Amino acid sequence: MDSLSASSEQDALELLHQLGCTDGLPVVIPTADRVARMVLATGHEPDLVLGVMGPLLGSATIEKVAAAAVMAGCLPDHMPVVVAAVQAVCQPEFDLTEMQATTHCTAPLIIVCGPARHACGEIASGFGAMGPGHRANASIGRALRLAMINIGGARPGSSDMALHGHPGKFTYCLAEDEEHSPFPGLHTTFGYQPEDSAVIITGAEAPHSTFFTGDRDDPASVQSLLDVIALVMANPGSNNVHLRGGAITVIMNPDHAEVIKRAGMSRQDVQAELAKRATISVGTMRRISPVFAAQGMSAEDAARSESSDDELIHVLEDPNKILVLQAGGSGLYTMVMPSWCAGPHRNAVVHASIELDQACEIPGMTL
Amino acid sequence: MRDSIFIARLGVPAVALVTEEFWPQGDFFATSTGMPEVPRIKLPHPVAGTGEDKMTEVATDIAPLIIELLSS
Repeated sequence: MDSLSASSEQDALELLHQLGCTDGLPVVIPTADRVARMVLATGHEPDLVLGVMGPLLGSATIEKVAAAAVMAGCLPDHMPVVVAAVQAVCQPEFDLTEMQATTHCTAPLIIVCGPARHACGEIASGFGAMGPGHRANASIGRALRLAMINIGGARPGSSDMALHGHPGKFTYCLAEDEEHSPFPGLHTTFGYQPEDSAVIITGAEAPHSTFFTGDRDDPASVQSLLDVIALVMANPGSNNVHLRGGAITVIMNPDHAEVIKRAGMSRQDVQAELAKRATISVGTMRRISPVFAAQGMSAEDAARSESSDDELIHVLEDPNKILVLQAGGSGLYTMVMPSWCAGPHRNAVVHASIELDQACEIPGMTL
Repeated sequence: MRDSIFIARLGVPAVALVTEEFWPQGDFFATSTGMPEVPRIKLPHPVAGTGEDKMTEVATDIAPLIIELLSS
């Protein structure tokens, strides 16, 4: 790995800013010693390649990823999650090169599941889990972003063409609140055992707040909750409505998850209901986006243009593409994150195992 | 741009059409994928949504150049 030199940490920071190697915020200077010790914490060789990050097509070696983690302010304990996150986004199905280059505002949302939520953090899953103040969440998500900048070559306006970006492109990481959730761990839906740890990563817009106040005495309350979430999922401006084929993330707060639990619904039930209810009419699509209105119709109907304006188009054909989990504090709001839906694989949801037994404890290690 | 590069790698003549706002990104992709000389033509920005007359004008302007590059 190439190295730079500077006469002081302040000069080094300014140099890294000038070279476009930061996210615009101050970073911890990745000195050779700090990076070497972070590499040691992974238990892997420094030249182990985790994957290739586009559009620069840089090799994401353990050493380079460790440098990004140092810069992000990670602790050694965070490294298993950072390593898994990099492995996940390098999978071809994630379309990282195209995702980094798109004009859309998508960012990788890291959802941490299993015992690593506690062993590699604490990674927050409660109040403000996606906001400031949680070191592990902030540092892990930022490490992935800095790897995407420095290994993947994403530079705003020249290779990262997001028109506006979004704040989740600084860091976007939370843990699932498995202990209080009515659902099994989200990772079990991807074939992991409950005792495994994994990251689930989806390209996501910023959270869209979804207001709902339930009534414990009203057995139909759950219907209202599902309806309002489905309406937000079918936001007419989102890529999911125009392009379809992508994923949508639904993060329920404990109160809304409790409504689901009282109704006796499983995660699969919720996914199926949301997929059924998240629709937009052909007439609305014809009015707002004639070019894309034909999508979702049968080829014959599209060719004849005979579909009634009242006919409904389902935003998602596959209920499994709705990621449903519990996180956040108690209250009125569930979060819905639409996605980009483009790229050769439609920016598919990816996952990777978090290998906790690879980590190496380093006595007295400070950064 | 990547489509053009992948097609060219298959030995099929290809020309990328890149709007001027995305020209630096095109250069970046061409360099990072090891094909800095992949043929490309600069278009005004934007093209999408500018209407049939304008798009016809742009197409008429660049069609000879596309043919020339594909033939070279």
